[in-house]
Amino acid sequence: MSQLRIEKKTPLFDRIFKPEHIVLENGHTVDRPRSRMPLIIICLLLVVYVSLQATGFNMKTIVERGYQLSVILSKIFHPNFSYFPSVVNPLIETIKMSVVGTVVGCLIGLPLSILASSNINSNKPSLLFIRFLLSIMRSVPTLIYASILTLVFGLGTFAGTIAIVIFTVGIVAKMLYESIETIDMKPYEAMTSFGANTLQAFWTACMPQILPTYIDDCLYCFELNVRASSILGYVGAGGLGVLIRERTGLRAYNDLGMVLLTLFIVVFTIDLINDYVRSKIS
Amino acid sequence: MTVLEQLQAEPKNLWKRVLIFIVLLFIVAWGSSTIEYNGLTAKGTGIAYGIIYGIFHPNKALLFDMSDAGVPYLVLQTIAIAVLGTIFGAILAIPVSFLASTNIVPKPVAYFFRALILMIRTIPSMIWALVWIRVTGPGAFCGVVTQSICSIGMISKMYITAIEDLDTGILESLDAAGCNTFEKIRVGILPQLSAGFISTAIYRFDINLKDATTLGIVGAGGIGSPLVQSITYGRWSNVGAFLLALIILVLIIEYASTRIRSRLARGQ
Amino acid sequence: MIEFIDVSKTYPNGTKGLQHVNLKIEQGEFIAIIGLSGAGKSTLIRTINRMIDITDGQLIVDGTDVMTLKGKSLRKFRRKIGMIFQSFNLVSRASVIKNVLSSNVPDMPWYKVLLGIYSREQKIKALEALDKVNILDKAYHRCDELSGGQMQRVALARTLAQNPTIILADEPVASLDPIMADVVMSDFAKINREMNISILLNIHHVDLALKYATRVIGVRAGHIVYDGPAANVTQEILDQVYNGKAVPKSTDIKTEVEK
Repeated sequence: MSQLRIEKKTPLFDRIFKPEHIVLENGHTVDRPRSRMPLIIICLLLVVYVSLQATGFNMKTIVERGYQLSVILSKIFHPNFSYFPSVVNPLIETIKMSVVGTVVGCLIGLPLSILASSNINSNKPSLLFIRFLLSIMRSVPTLIYASILTLVFGLGTFAGTIAIVIFTVGIVAKMLYESIETIDMKPYEAMTSFGANTLQAFWTACMPQILPTYIDDCLYCFELNVRASSILGYVGAGGLGVLIRERTGLRAYNDLGMVLLTLFIVVFTIDLINDYVRSKIS
Repeated sequence: MTVLEQLQAEPKNLWKRVLIFIVLLFIVAWGSSTIEYNGLTAKGTGIAYGIIYGIFHPNKALLFDMSDAGVPYLVLQTIAIAVLGTIFGAILAIPVSFLASTNIVPKPVAYFFRALILMIRTIPSMIWALVWIRVTGPGAFCGVVTQSICSIGMISKMYITAIEDLDTGILESLDAAGCNTFEKIRVGILPQLSAGFISTAIYRFDINLKDATTLGIVGAGGIGSPLVQSITYGRWSNVGAFLLALIILVLIIEYASTRIRSRLARGQ
Repeated sequence: MIEFIDVSKTYPNGTKGLQHVNLKIEQGEFIAIIGLSGAGKSTLIRTINRMIDITDGQLIVDGTDVMTLKGKSLRKFRRKIGMIFQSFNLVSRASVIKNVLSSNVPDMPWYKVLLGIYSREQKIKALEALDKVNILDKAYHRCDELSGGQMQRVALARTLAQNPTIILADEPVASLDPIMADVVMSDFAKINREMNISILLNIHHVDLALKYATRVIGVRAGHIVYDGPAANVTQEILDQVYNGKAVPKSTDIKTEVEK
């Protein structure tokens, strides 16, 4: 009986490296499984070695040419303040893209997250399909979407906004369905007991429970999107990225410093505002 | 108290809701003002069709091409960038985060290092890559150094939380048992931190893998640069092959990382 | 009128919930269903509004064969039947009146549901329902500020606001202390008397069942072993229902009641 159990439950590792058999002084025995640490370390070293080969890692270059970095960084840390007027418009464009992208993305993400929650949607195929779709939306970087969309819709903010929408839908819906699956379903059961359909019951019984999380997730996405949309211009999708590409191309790192300083201040301010809104909600 | 009295007593929050709604509407309207839809470009529909066609008809030769321009090698390189970037970042983050923890060093020092971490976090990784590329030249090497630096920001932030939650009572009892400083760190501190640190590093690996693709666009190696090139030149079946490989790769890593982290959280 | 004709329920895992149940319940009766945990009390209650499907026999409620209903007709049928749960099943983050008003949701157009707009008449009806169970003063409190007994009365008000002809209650007092349990049971009795609503409730505490109900149904292992007036219940009958085990009372030290 016990023999059978061991054979079924022992992981492969413990069958190859048999546990150490310790007999205590009082005659009791303890099986001490062999440490997996050596195996893990060997695997890790192997992976690192292969990676070093594949990426052409070369410490000498960093040591020899590291001064280049300090030259560029020192320029970035001495921003050219007279460049500020040229930053304002692209900055506003970036913020506008993130605002619209976040709002639209969060609105589309809500119904999709309901369809992707296993406790609300009992139709397995549609559930898996929606989850698969959301995974794909998340797995392709925003910048790739933007570079495709600029070809379809032309250069400018529209393509960038759509790219942000796609990314936001993927991430908001995932965060949301994970929290929907942990809510209290009893009020939902009560609603169905007196004749509400799935959507009515969800909206009245579940929505009040997830609303704070939903708003929190939206704000988090907004923060992510401001950072993400600032570089979308690199592929021509509008906003600060256009300047970033142009200024690094011209090696005008003092101007780049100004762009980054402004971005830094804006991101910091948005974080503060979001923290304030969060404290108001909870 | 009667029913009608209670009806009158209803808290009036309608104006508040209307106000929030108007503010939101105003923000969205303001935001939409620069976003103009100019319709599809002349070739827009053709491109959209091309992409959809490409995804369903990926370039099979490219998918199984074993040279350094083929999908398998590029996927390997992307993973390699993320692996090294994460490992170096995770190692570099250890001293930084100890120096930024208020329960280890004096407050002014901690705040200086926190400002440094904030700076690293705010500058988008792509800009780090654009800067590093002047040092290393284009290629996967640039991706590695970029990710090593960028990872410090987020990883340190998570490490600091773990360090500031340290249970120092254990150190006291180890002192009483006569341990020296090295033994105290090995027996008292490492076991408390290791699970959290590894979990953070795995999570960051997940992020770095997606980011490595983006970095490729500015020339920092991986699958990103050939993907964007194929998009620019309209080689849709190549785009399909790269996208397919990318999606599968990210899905597998995301699944594996979630599994491993939930096992770590349960303490196995 | 509710009529069970040779009703059986077998769960997919093979558990027999009900076996050959025959019952006839007239409008306006107050019925307490007693029995051990797992005897099939909950199954019996929940088949009536088809929260659970029966596997055999026929169940007729007010002239409708319950098993013929689906989708929209089932939802319409459920509007006439109120249901009360052991754990109240209220939205704890919402106010009391919002919970009561939620019983109107199935009849409202979608945009009103979306925005949560209720008419003056609906609000008055909700407040009247709260008044009937004596917690009108708590109308604008959040549900999680209330005690268990108050929450069960909110749930009762929610059910009343839906104008049911039948109220089903699944262990309505199991989570309450003995005093609150008695108060809630007297609320049920009052509603039954004044509004001629049929009430069927599962109850673990036999003393409360005998005190308030007019008719008692004893269930053992899916079979009905007693069906008659509360006044005729004797110790022998209870021994038979409870299989010789101790008969639970509301004044017992609180032990694990049905899960």
